[in-house]
Amino acid sequence: MDQSEIDALMKAAGSKAAPKGKKAKAEAEEAVPASAPAPEPAPVPAPALKPGAATVAPGEGGHVITEIDAVTAVTERETNKVMDQLDVIGQLVGRQRDLITEVMKHPGAQEANVQEALHKVMSSGKEIQDKVFEAMDLMQFQDITRQKLERIVHHLRQIHDYIVELLGTGLKSDAERASVSRTIHTTGTTPDERKAHADSVVEEFLRGQQKG
Amino acid sequence: MKILIVDDSSTMRRIIINTLSRIGYSDVVEGEHGKAGLEKLAQGGIEMIITDWNMPEMDGLEFVNAVRGQNSSIPILMVTTNAAKEDIVAALQAGVNNYVVKPFTPETLKEKIESLLG
Repeated sequence: MDQSEIDALMKAAGSKAAPKGKKAKAEAEEAVPASAPAPEPAPVPAPALKPGAATVAPGEGGHVITEIDAVTAVTERETNKVMDQLDVIGQLVGRQRDLITEVMKHPGAQEANVQEALHKVMSSGKEIQDKVFEAMDLMQFQDITRQKLERIVHHLRQIHDYIVELLGTGLKSDAERASVSRTIHTTGTTPDERKAHADSVVEEFLRGQQKG
Repeated sequence: MKILIVDDSSTMRRIIINTLSRIGYSDVVEGEHGKAGLEKLAQGGIEMIITDWNMPEMDGLEFVNAVRGQNSSIPILMVTTNAAKEDIVAALQAGVNNYVVKPFTPETLKEKIESLLG
C-alpha cells in the first residue's frame, strides 16, 4: 500500500493524514484550537466494491463497510504482489537447479569435492523452494483476516442499528434501511470456542449415512 | 483431471492452485463465486470441485445445492473458515463430500483430494 492509498483511506475515515514532526503538530493545533468543533470531513467517493458488497448510503454507517472493503481489496492486491515475488524466487531457484545439474555433468566438475559442493548447493536450493511454498501457504492469513474484519463490521452494524432504534432517531422503514453486505451477513470465521474438528464431524456424518 | 476452484479471494485461489500443482494437478479453472462456478461447470470437463462457503452473489452452500441438482457424482471439497459443527453438517447434507477448515496445510489438502478421487 503506498502513501496515497493510506491517505485516501484515512480521508475516507474522516481523519486527515497526521502531519509529521513537532512543528507540524504545533501548526495543526494552532490551526484548530482545542475548543473549536472538529471540521466536517470532506465527502470522499466510496471505493469500488466487490460484486454483492454493501450498498449502504453515506451517513448510514456504510462508510465503515466501504472502508473495510477498500482495506481488504488493497491487502488482497498487495498479498498477490508478495505471491508474485515468491513465484519469481521459486523460478530463480528452479533455474539455478537446472544450471547446477548441467555443471555436475561437466568433465571438469567430476572431482568428489566439487560434486559434494554442488550437491550442497542443490540441497540448499531445495530448502529455499520449500520455504517459498511455506510462505505462500501462510498467505491464507489475508482471506481469514478479511473474513474476521467483515464479521466485526457486521457486529458494528448491529450495534449501530440498535442505538439508532434506542434513541428513536433516524429511524427508517425496512425498505429504506440499508442492508448489510450479503457477504458480510453470511460471512463468518467461526469463533474458537465453537470450532469443531472437521474430520470427526465428517466421519460421524458418513457413519450415520451408512447406518441409515 | 480438471479441477474447478470457486473462491472469492484471488489469494486463496492462487494458494490452492499452487498446492494442487505441487501434488500434480495443474489443469485448473477458477470461479469467484457460485454463479461463476456454475458457468464454468456448464462448459464441461470438470472432474472435481473445490469451493469456499462465504462468497458474494451465490455462496458455497447454494452452489453445492445447485451442482447436486444437476450432478450427483462429481466430488466436492469445501474449503472454508466456517468450522462450527452445524456448518459442517449442513455442508455435508447439501452434498459436499469432504470438508477442510482454513487455514489448511498442503498435506491436508492433498490427503482430502486423494481420498475423494479414490
